[in-house]
Amino acid sequence: MGLITEKLPLYLDPVPGSSWFLGKLDEVINWSRANSLWPLTFGTSCCAIEVMMAAGASRHDVARFGAEVARPSPRQADLLVVAGTIVKRMAPRLRTLYEQMAEPRYVIATGSCVISGGPFIYHSYSTLRGLDGVVPVDVYVPGCPPRPEAYFYGILTLQKLIKEGETVRRPGERRKPVLAALPAGMTVDQIQEEMRSLLVTEKNSGDRRNG
Amino acid sequence: MDNEKLLAALKTLEPQISVRENADRLAVTVPCERLGAFMSKLKLENALRFDILYAHTAIDWVAENRFELIYILSSLEHGHSLMVCVSIPRDAPVAPSVSSIWRIAEWQEREVYDMFGVLYRDHPDLRRLLLEDDWQGFPLRKDYKDDFMLEKPQ
Amino acid sequence: MVSTLEDRVRPPAAAGGPLSTQEFFINMGPQHPSTHGVLRLVLKLDGETVREVIPVLGYIHRGIEKIGEHQTYRQFVHLSDRLDYLSALMNNWAVSLTVEKAAKIELNDRIQVIRTIMAELQRIQSHQLWWGVLGMDLGAFTPFLYGFRDREVLTDVFEETMGARLTMNYIQPGGLMQDIHPNFVERVKSFLKYFKPKLAEYEELLGGNVILQERLRKVGRLEAKTAVSMGATGPVLRASGVAHDLRKKEPYGVYSKVAFDVPVGTMGDCWDRYWVRIEEMRQSMRIVEQLIDNIPAGKHLLVKPAIVIKVPQGLYYGQVETARGILGIFVVADGTGYPYRIHLRTPNFNNLWSITAIAPGLRVADLVAILSSLDIVVPDIDR
Repeated sequence: MGLITEKLPLYLDPVPGSSWFLGKLDEVINWSRANSLWPLTFGTSCCAIEVMMAAGASRHDVARFGAEVARPSPRQADLLVVAGTIVKRMAPRLRTLYEQMAEPRYVIATGSCVISGGPFIYHSYSTLRGLDGVVPVDVYVPGCPPRPEAYFYGILTLQKLIKEGETVRRPGERRKPVLAALPAGMTVDQIQEEMRSLLVTEKNSGDRRNG
Repeated sequence: MDNEKLLAALKTLEPQISVRENADRLAVTVPCERLGAFMSKLKLENALRFDILYAHTAIDWVAENRFELIYILSSLEHGHSLMVCVSIPRDAPVAPSVSSIWRIAEWQEREVYDMFGVLYRDHPDLRRLLLEDDWQGFPLRKDYKDDFMLEKPQ
Repeated sequence: MVSTLEDRVRPPAAAGGPLSTQEFFINMGPQHPSTHGVLRLVLKLDGETVREVIPVLGYIHRGIEKIGEHQTYRQFVHLSDRLDYLSALMNNWAVSLTVEKAAKIELNDRIQVIRTIMAELQRIQSHQLWWGVLGMDLGAFTPFLYGFRDREVLTDVFEETMGARLTMNYIQPGGLMQDIHPNFVERVKSFLKYFKPKLAEYEELLGGNVILQERLRKVGRLEAKTAVSMGATGPVLRASGVAHDLRKKEPYGVYSKVAFDVPVGTMGDCWDRYWVRIEEMRQSMRIVEQLIDNIPAGKHLLVKPAIVIKVPQGLYYGQVETARGILGIFVVADGTGYPYRIHLRTPNFNNLWSITAIAPGLRVADLVAILSSLDIVVPDIDR
């Protein structure tokens, strides 16, 4: 409840002199979608340890960003985190999983392998060089494997996209994905600062609408 | 058993073996038709007792037009190890299966079939292991070509 | 002569009579939370009872052996990280050890001691994760959080020295990538002090749990003879009562100079595999304790990184004991800086095969316990 009373009013304008609020239903829906992502338990290789397990465990705790309810069944999930290499044999199965997921569905691709093929780009007869030919990707998180912090950055980026209403697509519609990279040489303090600023974009987007 | 004694013991088992040079442990080459009998003796003979098959793989000597099958064996009881090599022609790659001697060979032979196209006689379940059943070609052969595969630019 | 999967899973004809049952096939995986990745098992079931397990591999087959033919020996090390990523350092070591033996590179004591410490720390780290995931697979989420809490402590220690959390690429042919961090010794000691009581807690929390014991004891027995014939190694083989540990049998690193025991099971059931791994963590801590105080001085890298290591012509096979069993690297060298052929004998590939002998006759739910106790890492199977 705390979250709703704190954050939701950003999207709602109080009507002067009454207890009524006015707001766009779309924005409220997008806000709630962004804050209740249910990822599919799906990891193929090394990235799964960092992105699915370490990120979900006690130290990093993805629950802070509302994306901890990992579902083993694609029908109950709306976020597909492709953590690890996708090879030719797995690609059709991945597509099936994607199509079974509830709409609107989002895809985060983590790690070099699903961006470009990573270390397996040359002389591999089976590794796919990039995921974008299989499913539409919303956010890429680079790294080999990406740290849990990088993954959180990716989640926050996705949340921002959802709140701005950019990711609600019709089936088959493709959009240019976002690369959620942390710049090289960044310190821990800077990362935390960046994270904070991403978290308050909610406030900014509310302000922008008002202004 | 040290390598000399081991070699002597192997020679009495199978006179047709020869030492394979350039290996980091004792390696012997066996004619393909003697392989099955030789291998089962290696496992059953009390003084040898090679009970674990660590690895089985193949090498594609494309210039010499042959495959060389490699079996890396070890004995948990005696602690000695051995490499057994078999040459088979590249255009008719058939070898006897040793899966009745070491059960792990069933998988390892399936992998070699998958990657090199070596056919094993009397294998209980010979089919592709890592690639799809309808995959064309055998990728670890040196002359394998594929539209999908990307060469590294020099 | 060559068959397909379809031939294997043809359903049997229905038997006559109104009350007859029929065997059927179901898929477990490739996307299944308890297969730890993209492993697919085709199960032949009679009701709840498993009649046959047909593992179907290749959903993460990346062709590392083919890629390896186009990489120098030093470049190949980073691919070995991505086999069994939970024992990345030991995989690095296996490649380095084989190449060093082949190219006749002598190492100093500092490198050997640091390698041994790192490998043992990683064995602890890997078993921590296994312990947590075992709990999660059997329905208890708490061990997962506990396991990761302690794992992160070690991850930090590694990160400080190596700059990476998971795929370290630290042990190189001819030495180590970097020297250890000045804080390393202190932090490892504080980790040992921290983790000892935690291990007792592990045993109390999960090992002392009646439900867990019921799920593991006398479930999934693997006889010693079958285990050897199936090519199982590591904790799986030792739980079956075969005391085969390369660290004792063919010592590498400085294992011959340290005192440690090899835990061996008696029954070969899931509980023995559980117990062997818990005990291994204790022994690993013992090894690290003996070494951490006297790391000898010396250089950490004896071959300059710019030099392409050339291996003389021949066949070489080197192996190390990773957290899951024996990883063997078979190299066919042609005298150049690139291997002519490189083959990886991976522990999980061979360990998984034993499931076909263990599972028949058990229930589907037991299969999850077995998979967990075999401690499968799928990219290591498929390569």
